[in-house]
Amino acid sequence: MTTYDADGITLEKVREYVWEIPQEGDMRTPARVLASEALLDEISDDKTLQQIKNATHLPGITNHAICMPDGHQGYGFPVGGVGALDAKNGCISPGAVGYDINCGVRMMTTNLTYDDVRGNEEELVDALFANVPSGLGGGGIVKGDADAIEGILARGVEWAVEEGYGVEDDLRACEDEGRRPDADPSAVSQKAKDRGRNQIGSLGSGNHFLEIQRVTDVFREDVGDAFDLREDQIVVLIHCGSRGLGHQVCNDYLRKIEKQHADLLDRLPDKELAAAPAGSELAEEYYGAMCAAINFAWVNRQLIMHRTRRVFERVFDRTWEQMEMQLLYDVAHNIAKKESHDVDGESRELYVHRKGATRAFPAGHPEVPAAYRDVGQPIIIPGSMGAGSYVLRGGDKSMTETFGSTAHGAGRLMSRTAAKDTYWGGDVQDELEQDGVYVKAQSGATVAEEAPGVYKDVDEVVRVSDALGIGDKVARTFPVCNIKG
Amino acid sequence: MSYELRDHTADVAVAADGDTLGETFAAVADGLTAAMCETVPDDGERFELTVTAESREALLFDFLDELIFQRDVRSVLPADHEASVESDGDKWTVTASARGVPFSSVHAREIKAVTYSEMDLSRTGDGWEAYVVFDV
Repeated sequence: MTTYDADGITLEKVREYVWEIPQEGDMRTPARVLASEALLDEISDDKTLQQIKNATHLPGITNHAICMPDGHQGYGFPVGGVGALDAKNGCISPGAVGYDINCGVRMMTTNLTYDDVRGNEEELVDALFANVPSGLGGGGIVKGDADAIEGILARGVEWAVEEGYGVEDDLRACEDEGRRPDADPSAVSQKAKDRGRNQIGSLGSGNHFLEIQRVTDVFREDVGDAFDLREDQIVVLIHCGSRGLGHQVCNDYLRKIEKQHADLLDRLPDKELAAAPAGSELAEEYYGAMCAAINFAWVNRQLIMHRTRRVFERVFDRTWEQMEMQLLYDVAHNIAKKESHDVDGESRELYVHRKGATRAFPAGHPEVPAAYRDVGQPIIIPGSMGAGSYVLRGGDKSMTETFGSTAHGAGRLMSRTAAKDTYWGGDVQDELEQDGVYVKAQSGATVAEEAPGVYKDVDEVVRVSDALGIGDKVARTFPVCNIKG
Repeated sequence: MSYELRDHTADVAVAADGDTLGETFAAVADGLTAAMCETVPDDGERFELTVTAESREALLFDFLDELIFQRDVRSVLPADHEASVESDGDKWTVTASARGVPFSSVHAREIKAVTYSEMDLSRTGDGWEAYVVFDV
């Protein structure tokens, strides 16, 4: 048997790109890592493998805890982790969802080509930077009163469309049509609502960004047609989450679990894995609050997308409808969702936790929006500012291999502190501009921390996803303009 | 009292120490400020906060969580932290203050949240040391 030894943890090769950490001690199942050896060399470089092992200690974990090809160390549960926990006898874990609930990505297509944008890059990047709030304390597109917050938490993108920040078609291209039905605004603390109020329609900082991109390759013409993607086309990618509201929901429930379910917490190897037993009052409350935060994040991305349409109208002197600026899809990275999955021939209700992982349902799945049901769900994999991004579609193997999931990005390689020692924001900006990428950020340090060199090779991540059949390569894009906090 | 920013693949960690628990809490908070902003200007009014929790570690977590909350609702970057910690046997309380630098006068990045991941708060020969990972 082929094995891979990583600092005290031995992985056994199950087949090409599938590695297993055997069950031992208090692990309830084995753990799996989906990676090439090149990616495994990077994944084993920090605490990712220990964290995916720790995830198998969660009650109700089904089959395996799985690390995606872009996995890296997080807190408690690794980023790029998937854990399906039994919704009757298992638990739900705020730590395995993460702080930024429904951090995610949406892509908007246009009928513009790269030639239409060339020469306007600086005007476009300046106009986007001036009009899309970003960074710490940048405010939001909407200043929400109590009614607005309730509407957003309960009704998601429906609220935004009613308020004039979008159109009905935007709902059809969003998971759950932009509204998580299990949302319970009353389970979201006043503190969380107060934090969210000034941040509705804002990017935030860190790895969040808005990017104008050009499509450089379409690998599958039929799926490209269904997604309305063609070479040289301009698209917009928006990456952000539920802002302070989501972060506060996570912390509120971590602390409640610590106080009310200390017995379960004491049996887990990392306090950040804090989980509420399925069926407990707290599990229900957290699920309702998390679903409300999911709605908040969708509205956040919707407002930014609609604002981007307005900016394009001014820069290109045409209506957004004339530029056919349509939402392709919106994918969530940090969520737990109650889903039915086939486990050993039996249909079971599971809380599928995807932390830094993307849902990747294949063609024919009833939960894929009608427009894409014949080809599979669109998946958007953002890469670094220098490497470009990918659009995939849910692969045939995703349901059997990964509970319908794949990677979510390139995955970090270098720490933020090391990045700042290695790069200087101004140099990174200049080098990118020579490659035709115009970057504008609130903070030079953010540009250094997000320099292309701090990320894993997104090509390799996507190649492994495609080879495993969990997310198939459809198109590739390359940045033109990027704004960030 | 002192702090240091430490390497973490995706996030940022603060290691801090102090002669007393209060000094150590303030040093961690100064580390949080440094993780958001390299050069903090001198302006801003001081504000006070009091947090109570069931243990020392929980108090450190809740104190940092409250600072991040105050940052967002006051629209200020909390800096120059002072803190003192007391216990009545059952509960732990931190009484603290910080200078709130208006967002309009700083270029700062956002730290999303405090985490329990790898958190350490322990006594040393002549004081306390703490290690906290923040989500970026």
